[in-house]
Amino acid sequence: MIGSILDLRRRGVMGLNERNVLLVNEFNPRRLIRLVNDKTVTKRLAAEAGIPTPELYGTISNAFDMRRLTDLISAPDGAVIKPANGAQGNGILVIAEKVQSGWRLASGRRLTYEDIKFHTNNILSGMHSLSGQPDTAMVEARVRFDDVFSDVSFQGVPDIRVIVLRGLPLVAMVRLPTAASDGKANLHKGGVGVGLDLATGLTQLGMQNGKMIDSHPDTAHALSGIQVPHWDEMLLMAARAYDVTGLGYLGADIVLDREKGPLLLELNARPGISIQIANRAGLKPHVDAALAADIEGLDASARVERAKAIYRDVVGEPGAPDAAEETAKSAAA
Amino acid sequence: MNSLAHTRLLALLLLAIGFAIFFSKVVRYDYPLTPDTETTVWDFEIYLEFSASNRPVRIETFIPARSVGRDVSEEQFYNGPFGLRLDEEEASGNRKAVWTYRFPQDRKVLRYRAQLLGESGRTPLPDSMREKRRRSTPQMDSDLERQAFIVWSSDLRRRSADDDSLAELTLQQIFEARDVDEVNALLSSLPRPVAQLELARAVLVSQGIPARVANGVYLDDARRRAEIQHWLEYHVSGEDKRFFPNGEPARFFALWYGVEEVVAADGVSELDVQIGLQQARFAAQDLALSAGARGDWPVQLFSFDQLPITTQLVYKVLVTIPVGILLLVFLRQFIGLQTLGTFMPVLIGIAFRETALLTGVFLFTLLVVLGLTVRFYLERLRLLLVPRLAVVLVFIVMCMAGFTIMMASGGQRLGLSISLFPMVILTMTIERMSIVWEEYSAEEAIKQGLGSLAVAAVSYLAMTHPQVEYLMFTFPELLLVIMALCLLMGKYTGLRLSELIRFRELAGKAK
Repeated sequence: MIGSILDLRRRGVMGLNERNVLLVNEFNPRRLIRLVNDKTVTKRLAAEAGIPTPELYGTISNAFDMRRLTDLISAPDGAVIKPANGAQGNGILVIAEKVQSGWRLASGRRLTYEDIKFHTNNILSGMHSLSGQPDTAMVEARVRFDDVFSDVSFQGVPDIRVIVLRGLPLVAMVRLPTAASDGKANLHKGGVGVGLDLATGLTQLGMQNGKMIDSHPDTAHALSGIQVPHWDEMLLMAARAYDVTGLGYLGADIVLDREKGPLLLELNARPGISIQIANRAGLKPHVDAALAADIEGLDASARVERAKAIYRDVVGEPGAPDAAEETAKSAAA
Repeated sequence: MNSLAHTRLLALLLLAIGFAIFFSKVVRYDYPLTPDTETTVWDFEIYLEFSASNRPVRIETFIPARSVGRDVSEEQFYNGPFGLRLDEEEASGNRKAVWTYRFPQDRKVLRYRAQLLGESGRTPLPDSMREKRRRSTPQMDSDLERQAFIVWSSDLRRRSADDDSLAELTLQQIFEARDVDEVNALLSSLPRPVAQLELARAVLVSQGIPARVANGVYLDDARRRAEIQHWLEYHVSGEDKRFFPNGEPARFFALWYGVEEVVAADGVSELDVQIGLQQARFAAQDLALSAGARGDWPVQLFSFDQLPITTQLVYKVLVTIPVGILLLVFLRQFIGLQTLGTFMPVLIGIAFRETALLTGVFLFTLLVVLGLTVRFYLERLRLLLVPRLAVVLVFIVMCMAGFTIMMASGGQRLGLSISLFPMVILTMTIERMSIVWEEYSAEEAIKQGLGSLAVAAVSYLAMTHPQVEYLMFTFPELLLVIMALCLLMGKYTGLRLSELIRFRELAGKAK
């Protein structure tokens, strides 16, 4: 056990304690965290800064608003109901289309108006909110996600998580829904996380439930070697999220729409640390390098270029992966 | 100054202050470090409940005798409408409370309370018990018995070398040897072991050895219904001796001497006598204070002595809570145990205080399962969140009431304790658990539920450990130490034990 502690230390793996003390407490003042807890606020800030997000159809915060529910969720392309203060993807309902007896969800389940109203009421009474406080339900456009990941996802919406420290994109991964995760891309529900090369936007190897994998558990397609389109644009969005919110340490969740390109879904002031398994490397070296960098006066696009250079420094050239990764690849082949 | 150095400095300061006061109390004022049973003060209560039916009532009960070397204080009588007289018998040293009333009706309750320090095997017997007496033959029912007694006691005398061995032989013959004809013949109709002790006393007194049958309680544990115990006290060859038929207890207290019953009642029915015992407080502080330190500020500032006893008892519980919280912080930050709610497990642990551990865990599990069942049923009715919570809460109250009534009819004490079991904690646990159940999985919910229960059990054990209770109550300055430890843990940036498992693949990769 001692051996494995030392080993993880040497590889720069950060635990929740270290993340909280060194990153969250240090870089994210409480008053700023409020900005990203409420997704309607995040959306407004993003809109002001010109960062594209899924279109907001409307919000429901009381019984009076509830009368608009049917209208809001009956858009031809479907809609998404989510709690404005929700955490970890809880309480999100993805409606695919209106059908005769009610609505069909993206997962294929059918719900009646009563079902959806009950769910919305639960959101309003704070069942899914961070502190159990009364909440607002928001209805927004359903993302028609790009086909680039269709070979390696099972239903649901794959999204891209970029960790940003002091406005410098640090590491990134793609989160893919699986049958086990019920169409959700959350890693703790059984979604697949795939590491991304920050400099190129190429997918690498993946993880599911803390275990390393090379191919998607449902579709059996190889996870590595997929080029994420609009990659530089995504990094720029993530870097600008820092300017907008002032949060020194944040996770930007971005989805890829077929027509509209990358859209910012939400920002997270306490992004999880499973990304280390997806990237098969500890966060610490990246954090140290980013903290040492002089970024005074750089704008977002300059910071993205600097971040790519830092990433290359820490990880090394893609042509020369370390020996262990080599064996893993040959074993997979 | 950066925040890490700041935190460490603050923690160091708190540690220094806490330990400085702690050590000054120990070294300068001789506060003992362990709860010494010899200095434990006990709350003693005789509780009498009976039915009266308009006839004159007379109830006599023995109350603790005051004699040298025994401390009885803060006596209180709850008389209701009854008249009270105190009788003191010179010869035996017994004290009696005599309650009388001419026309009582219905159920009546009488109570006597006092605080007392117990006796031990080393407590000296009174001087009257030390005087060598003349040999004399006791009164007997018949001449035949008298003859048999004389023959048997002189036989015992012949077979022993001195008074000491005579006493030992007598007790051995009465309590250990089987089927000694003389013993069988001479035992009175009193219940055992009183009859045996009385016979032994008669033999010893007939041989000039002062002896008496003592009746009282053993001071070993808090009890609502303490059993009356009986033993023999005698003085032989210049030594005070006690003989306990059921093994010698560390601490005990003699209520009265002789072969009478504890209560004698006239004109009542359905008499229920309860003798309650409870550790009241540690008298060590009193000892330290009386040693002349009363005016010194560290002792005065950091002690609960000036407070009334009832308030002290509240603080005795309160000051142990930080110990449970310290444990919880450790389990969360270093082990990474997942629990429902942040401090919920400690609250559950406090709730266990009312029920003891096993009963508590059983009741808790049962009520949570019942509550969850109702909640999932309500889910189908599509109720709003807060009313749904309310229904669960009412249901829990009904379940508790049901248990209490069931247990009471079964004569169990369990029922009494559950009424104090904090139900709000239960309801919140149920609600949190059901949310986790829906949002994550049944597995996760059960995992967190069991995690909470485990932390609750551990913190309960820590919070109720006599040593912990004693230290925290006697040395409240240790709270500063706990605070300092929490501060230091707040800056711990290492991996949690659970993360070693989570990232095991990354660790394995290097090999």
